[in-house]
Amino acid sequence: MKRWQMIKLGLILAVYTIVGCVGLAFVYNSTSKTIAQRQEADLQAGLQEVFPSATGFTPTDKVTSSNSTIVFDVAYTANGPSGSLGIAVKVHGPSYGGDTTLIVGVSTDGTITGVKVLENKDTPGLGANAANPKYYVDKATKTTFPGQFAGKKVTDAFVVKQDVIAITSATITSRSITNLVQAVAKAASDALGIAGSSPVSSSQSPSAVLPSADTIQPSSRVAVSSVPGVSILETSVGTKSGTIVGASAKAKAKCYDGDATVLVGVSTDGTITGVQILECTDSLGSPILAPEFAQQFVGKKADAPLEIGTNIEAVSGATFSSRGATALVKATADALVKVLAGGGL
Amino acid sequence: MKRLLGVFVNGLIVENPLFIIMIGLCSSMAVTTTVANGIGMGVALTFVLVMSELIISLFRNLIPESIRMPIFLIVIAAFTTIMDLEMQAYFPVLSKSMGVFIPLVVVNCIIMGRVEAYSSKQPVLDSIFDGLGMGLGYTWVLIALSVVRELLGNGTLLGFQIMPASFSPMIFFILPPGGFLVFSLWMAASNNLRRKMLAGKKPEPTQDSCCTLPENGSAEKA
Repeated sequence: MKRWQMIKLGLILAVYTIVGCVGLAFVYNSTSKTIAQRQEADLQAGLQEVFPSATGFTPTDKVTSSNSTIVFDVAYTANGPSGSLGIAVKVHGPSYGGDTTLIVGVSTDGTITGVKVLENKDTPGLGANAANPKYYVDKATKTTFPGQFAGKKVTDAFVVKQDVIAITSATITSRSITNLVQAVAKAASDALGIAGSSPVSSSQSPSAVLPSADTIQPSSRVAVSSVPGVSILETSVGTKSGTIVGASAKAKAKCYDGDATVLVGVSTDGTITGVQILECTDSLGSPILAPEFAQQFVGKKADAPLEIGTNIEAVSGATFSSRGATALVKATADALVKVLAGGGL
Repeated sequence: MKRLLGVFVNGLIVENPLFIIMIGLCSSMAVTTTVANGIGMGVALTFVLVMSELIISLFRNLIPESIRMPIFLIVIAAFTTIMDLEMQAYFPVLSKSMGVFIPLVVVNCIIMGRVEAYSSKQPVLDSIFDGLGMGLGYTWVLIALSVVRELLGNGTLLGFQIMPASFSPMIFFILPPGGFLVFSLWMAASNNLRRKMLAGKKPEPTQDSCCTLPENGSAEKA
């Protein structure tokens, strides 16, 4: 009797579920076309917005994301009257309240033609202002948050609160959108073959971290770090009128969920003469690229403990990346001190 | 007719879901940063509430007591999904700006509470009016909250600039603490009004409290 009762209840529940599902199927059928059309229309409008003069868009698979959290949904080559105008990418990646979807256009001359926010689930009134056409980060020029990227060079730093104006009280949203834009900018400029997409400018050469040297050349001995996971890519030695004044090294290691690459210079007396954070592929790590962060290391002794919270300040919102980069700088500096002590450079 | 009006007003003020019963508060804090969102959420919830109450009241004699909760949930979830799809298709802007709160209507306590306490025991017409009353009771509170929060926190109403350009928006009101403050002030004002409304009547409110006593509603008493 009891078993019969259970089966009966199960059947009743099944009937309700089936009726509910059938009803949903009908609604889904009637709305799915409209929803798909709307999304397609949004996409086309977005593409047209970032490339107003384009006559058509051809899908391309040349553009690939190097970061696993940032997904390129679809990429297009924008066709102009006389050849390709550039690349537009629909991209999504994590933000404060879920994934944010953007369309980013990059022209063949290496500037961003425009950014359009397709979807953003962040806090209404705060992060959601990224998609608000009436929210201006610069009220004087009526520039919206995504609007400020138009005209930016793909080689720019893309650091929020420096060359990117943040949305008030929505730093995380601002940063994640900036990261998405930068990821597309990098990938698109690689695909377009724009020179300087991986900028090796003067500011990245070893002379920037060894200001006292007048000649810098690759070292005959390569510095090796004793810290596991830290790989030193290149070692240079700096001399001034024939005397060795210091050495520098470029090193790479795992940071938080990506890699960090740093350039460190150490003088013969074991003082850090300069640090540059060249790259950080952590999902929210780009703030540590700010020169202010790297500047903190200058003048510190390489053998002194370098720690976030004691003598090095973390970049807010990127504590883990700051920590990873600090450990990398320390390991590199230690390796350089050893090489300098060993002589025979 | 007077009886139905009583049921309607009950949800609107006397037993307002947010100010008196105090259920469904999370979404009301979260979406009321702009008036448009407040209205959208209110209408969305009213739709789901009325439809769920209608269906469950209609089938109330065919729902076995022991599995009523899963059945309520199936009905509520179905209507929420329907509304979510319809909004995506026909009100994409609103749907985008409210994001995750639309699917979360499923777990809004107001719906479960009213279905369990009211429509599973009351006739269809009463249930519809209860759904309308409760839904609009929820909606007007959302609008009241969001008007204050959007005006002070952003200087706009429904996206139009209201405050003079010299006004510097008080972000505090958009952030969660501002939501609590505005909510409590409105609740104080509303409860004061309610007390005055009920002062002329018998000291005992016309309604039993929603979720504790099975005998509910002016329906039987009127």
